[in-house]
Amino acid sequence: MKLTIGHLYPDLLNLYGDRGNIQCMMKRCEWRGIEAQTISYRLEDPIDFDKLDIVLLGGGSDREQMLVCSRLKEIRDDFKRFVEKDGVVLAICGGYQLLGNFYETKDGKIEGLGLVDLYTVQKKGRLIRNIIIKSELFERPIVGFENHGGRTCIKDNKPLGKVIYGKGNDGKSGYEGVIYKNVIGTYLHGPVLPKNPDLCDYILKKALERKYGSVELLPLDDTQEHQANEYIVKRYEDKMQNLKEEILRRI
Amino acid sequence: MKLRRVLAVRAAKLVGKISRKMGRQGVTWAGLVARLIYPDILQDLAGQLRGKSFIVCGTNGKTTTNNLLCSAIEAEGKKIICNRTGSNMQNGVVAAFVLAADHHGKIDADYACIEIDEASTLRVLPRFKPDFMVLTNLFRDQLDRYGEIDMTMEILKKAMQMAPDMVLLINGDDSLSTALAMDAGNRYLTYGISEKVFDGDENSEIREGRFCKKCGAKMKYHFYHYSQLGDYECPNCGFKRPKIVYDASHIFVGDHLEFDVENRRICANYRGFYNIYNILAAYSAGRASGLSMNHFQDTLTHFNPENGRMEHFFIDGTKVELNLAKNPAGFNQNIAAVMEDETPKDIIILINDRFQDGEDVSWLWDVDFDRFKEETICSITVTGIRCLDMRLRLKYVDIPAQVERNVEKAIREKIKNGVGNLYVLVNYTGLYSTRNTLKRMEEESR
Repeated sequence: MKLTIGHLYPDLLNLYGDRGNIQCMMKRCEWRGIEAQTISYRLEDPIDFDKLDIVLLGGGSDREQMLVCSRLKEIRDDFKRFVEKDGVVLAICGGYQLLGNFYETKDGKIEGLGLVDLYTVQKKGRLIRNIIIKSELFERPIVGFENHGGRTCIKDNKPLGKVIYGKGNDGKSGYEGVIYKNVIGTYLHGPVLPKNPDLCDYILKKALERKYGSVELLPLDDTQEHQANEYIVKRYEDKMQNLKEEILRRI
Repeated sequence: MKLRRVLAVRAAKLVGKISRKMGRQGVTWAGLVARLIYPDILQDLAGQLRGKSFIVCGTNGKTTTNNLLCSAIEAEGKKIICNRTGSNMQNGVVAAFVLAADHHGKIDADYACIEIDEASTLRVLPRFKPDFMVLTNLFRDQLDRYGEIDMTMEILKKAMQMAPDMVLLINGDDSLSTALAMDAGNRYLTYGISEKVFDGDENSEIREGRFCKKCGAKMKYHFYHYSQLGDYECPNCGFKRPKIVYDASHIFVGDHLEFDVENRRICANYRGFYNIYNILAAYSAGRASGLSMNHFQDTLTHFNPENGRMEHFFIDGTKVELNLAKNPAGFNQNIAAVMEDETPKDIIILINDRFQDGEDVSWLWDVDFDRFKEETICSITVTGIRCLDMRLRLKYVDIPAQVERNVEKAIREKIKNGVGNLYVLVNYTGLYSTRNTLKRMEEESR
């Protein structure tokens, strides 16, 4: 079995350890004897989506997202076809915003890829903190770190999870991220995959199944992954800790 | 105003004394109290300086550069004010002046060397207009606090424009610093390294500034030193590495550092290529202000920063080196410096996620830890609040690590059972306490 991961524009969209998500997917394939390769695309490179099983779209600064935006228009149709044919996509933060119809900032409107019917509006104050969400897909909570000025409205789409601690899509709805077909959009950095191996394996499995039919992934020893995950979950079960961090944040 | 000044100075000194008794550095509170009593205290005291004033900004190397500059200027026979402890927010800056004043609120000093946190420049520069700003470099750091590097640049630009007569001394090898200096409009001078030092181009490293800050086109690099530092040129708008005023050449990087500048050979008993920039920045700043810097080599030879930057301790036969590593660019340089030592070694890595560290530890994945996959690395122990994240990071480059939550226990274990050569790499909030622990252990072992 073989997987090909396309990393879109790491030159520009590589904030907050996005590289770790690639490393995580590659390693978890390698440990199971699944062949995996990553193709990093620069802005000027043509992309043949038929060759790709997983697409990673990371986050960038607003300025960098503007630079990417004009290029996105040119690949939009191919990307859309990939998504509609159940191609697997992981979009983080800025990448998540670009999945939608538009991202409205104080300097203007960035047109999105329109792959998922959602939109983002920048508001005053960034939502910055550790975040814990509970997804129906997995038993364990998903943990990460959020840092975004944009508030995302996912309309009737399914969220990735319910916010247990943190702010999520817009700080109000109580939900975080989006799932549409095999596309996952989320604000979670961390990077998100290493501390949430269930999510990483879900992505790998979806990609393999699309290609090879029913697949069972070999179990791995995830003790270290789970311990790092549990540390964050436990930390915010402590109400005093929540209060302390809230106070420190405000002074 | 005189009464207020005297009151502010005396109250601040008292507060400083009390909080030092309570085991703190005591600087921040002193500055705060002085400011509350007399908001214009900084303006008042800084105005009494007889000579020039410098501020040092930039992501990495601020403290080392500032302290070296301060020592070098002292060696030229000048009296100087400096925030040596690295308290670099508004209160720390105010405290440096207040604690240097006498009981009448009078300053007896020629020069001032003040390091300032980038985000604090907007609060300091309205009251204190330095003659020079040394900008060491701009790297990604604590993205959760500063948002992104573009925002840090915006802040610094505003700060520079608040003091239009302030001359900038910038690292010309850094395209971000250069673009910023041009954009701000202040007069600027440059230091840098025009010769290619390292072979090969390691494209894996996460770099800022791949795209021109002026026009957005992809930049062409003739070579990289590290991170985005190198010889760059924009093929679209013509923006390029400026002519370097203080140019280091004939570089040697190994178990010590050597280079030429202005026909002087400079030697330093440090490892780590990045230290060439720190030394060069301090030298250039002194020269730019008109000093001869004839005693610079002497200062450098005897320079002992005692602040946890490459600081050495000897404990029961083990050589311990403590160093600060708080962002990807700094950590990668630290790893390179550790690997210059080809003898067997143990490593302890401490990662905290307190507010001053940055609460987001994602940056660990932007550090090239796979370079630790060498036989000379006998063990890696992880400690600190986010030790489990650090262990996981290493797992994904196939490096096993032991967890020991207690720093002192981790150090003791390696002194007892290690190879006698220990490196302790810590991020910001771990530095002060780890240094105290090591100092105490060193004294106990004597």
